[in-house]
Amino acid sequence: MRTPEEKLLNPRPGSKIAEARDFGIDLTLIVGKLRKTPQQRIDDLQSAMRFHVELDKAREARLLKK
Amino acid sequence: MIELKDAITALVDNDVEFVLIGGVAITLHSSAYVTEDLDLCYSRTNINLVKLCAALGRFKPRARGIPDELPFIFDESTLRNGTNFTFSTTIGDIDLLAEVAGVGDYTVAREKSVDFTIYDRVVKVLSLDALIAAKQAANRPKDQLVLPELLALREALDPNSE
Repeated sequence: MRTPEEKLLNPRPGSKIAEARDFGIDLTLIVGKLRKTPQQRIDDLQSAMRFHVELDKAREARLLKK
Repeated sequence: MIELKDAITALVDNDVEFVLIGGVAITLHSSAYVTEDLDLCYSRTNINLVKLCAALGRFKPRARGIPDELPFIFDESTLRNGTNFTFSTTIGDIDLLAEVAGVGDYTVAREKSVDFTIYDRVVKVLSLDALIAAKQAANRPKDQLVLPELLALREALDPNSE
């Protein structure tokens, strides 16, 4: 029996995993998340949110300069 | 952006009956999806409304989208007079839902939840199956975008899928 990681990295043709890959989902990102603890996943999410805020600030500052 | 630790610890420490749903729940189940707010399904009992106000009141919730000059009171009465709320707070956006489409009310959501430990606290999180049902029921474009990933995750985690 294959592990979740093995299934995600080598999807069986016709599977939902293969469908997701074909849809454009980066399955290696899911593999990375599965290796983490729930706390690490939520910390990653908070970091991504902060990064988006910083990007927005930088974009606004750039627009103000123009 | 929502300050997750502030929001979640306040809710748990005030003994609020809630289930995490939406993007944060999806993240906990190992999706790479990024959300900006916190969505909860909450119990509508009187005591829980009091606890919700105690937990979130310090963050000065206001109904999202109403003009700043209009007064807004966040208290049990306000919560009693509605069911679903979208709040902006000093720590970010928090949405409170009495019922989750495709799943049901808090009692059902709780039955269909799993426990995760975050911030040294046990938090009820809607199960992957129930999140998929909710996304299929809502069926908005943003739900359609995340569904293939959730279905793939479920298949990967299912020991009987192959």
